[in-house]
Amino acid sequence: MSKSARNRNNRQNPLTQSGPPWGTIAFFTVIGVIVVAAIGFAGWQAFKPAEKIAGLVEKDGLERTHVETPVTYETNPPMGGPHSAIWQNCDGRVYDQPLKNENAVHALEHGAVWITYRPGLSAGDVDKLKNRVEGTDYTLLSPVQGQSSPIALTAWGKQVKVDKADDKRIGEFLKAYVKGPQTPEPGAACSGGKDTP
Amino acid sequence: MTEAAPDRQPRGRRVSLILAALVAAVAAAVAGLSLSGPDTPGPDSAEAGFARDMSTHHAQAVRMSFLVRDATEDAEVRLLAYDIINTQSAQIGMMTAWLDLWEAPKVDPGGAMRWMSGHGGHGGGGTMPGMATREQLKRLETARGEDAEALFLQLMIAHHRGGVSMAQAVLARTDHDHVERLARSMVDGQKAEIDLMNGMLRKRGAPQV
Repeated sequence: MSKSARNRNNRQNPLTQSGPPWGTIAFFTVIGVIVVAAIGFAGWQAFKPAEKIAGLVEKDGLERTHVETPVTYETNPPMGGPHSAIWQNCDGRVYDQPLKNENAVHALEHGAVWITYRPGLSAGDVDKLKNRVEGTDYTLLSPVQGQSSPIALTAWGKQVKVDKADDKRIGEFLKAYVKGPQTPEPGAACSGGKDTP
Repeated sequence: MTEAAPDRQPRGRRVSLILAALVAAVAAAVAGLSLSGPDTPGPDSAEAGFARDMSTHHAQAVRMSFLVRDATEDAEVRLLAYDIINTQSAQIGMMTAWLDLWEAPKVDPGGAMRWMSGHGGHGGGGTMPGMATREQLKRLETARGEDAEALFLQLMIAHHRGGVSMAQAVLARTDHDHVERLARSMVDGQKAEIDLMNGMLRKRGAPQV
């Protein structure tokens, strides 16, 4: 039987002619459900809260005043607060000596991520961190005495401590916070400041 | 049975009409959403990669321009440097705003220039075309007067050539209106400045690049 002949037969069938069009209803209902699910999924994708980095410490209400005197910070390394008028250069810069906190905090204010390590970290891990920093604008690397973890990543008001240089949270932290939304002074420079430890 | 049928038929039709109307409304909403889609390049797109890397590239041009303004009193070079500082700083602002709007990271810890891989032999390595090395920047920092002018012009010509190739690379990869418009203005503007700077080198009897 040809297709058109079959259709003609269906149309002539009194049962399908008189009953509710269940096929049509089912068809549109299924499509409707799929569409609603798709919209729901898209909305969820767009508005789901960003996944939080494990072990992230956050600090609000940090002061931004410029001071010429040494500052006692609450954390080591500091996550923000009063600082020197001169920022530490942070254009993917590796420092082999400890920095003055007051200058490094100003770099955080400009949107930099400061990677620090406890002296004694293996040479292999230090090299990995150096490569990372040299390839990433708005970062700086320096050793910090007395730091409680082998490696720490600090942005303004954000900090995470890790043990190894290949911890995947390092990449996550850089993506989230280099010139990230926490930056108090977006657009400020990472060069033209203090160039030495 | 035959009497009930005429009653049931319109009700079925009403239900499917309502359903159809609902589906149409929802489909219109989806169409609206998907229309706004192409304007939002993903975090790994060529557009986002370009905005990130070109911001870094521009930042170095701004820095070199400040260095030469500190190193010379020559009005022509100082004016060119002033122009580059303002133009490229403003463009950094535009590209940063795109990344904010697209909710894309400002850096790619996987390395710069990945979006340009395969174009003109660059990419993957993380070095951007035309960038001055740390040593070259050190020389520019200490040079004074005509030495500084010539070095600046030579470095900036190479820098602009790299910038033009990056802008052309994104033009080959995007049909995003804003990205296209800014990239075109970079190609045209920087090409014109390369000619200008070669003329300035000629006038100074310094080697052209």
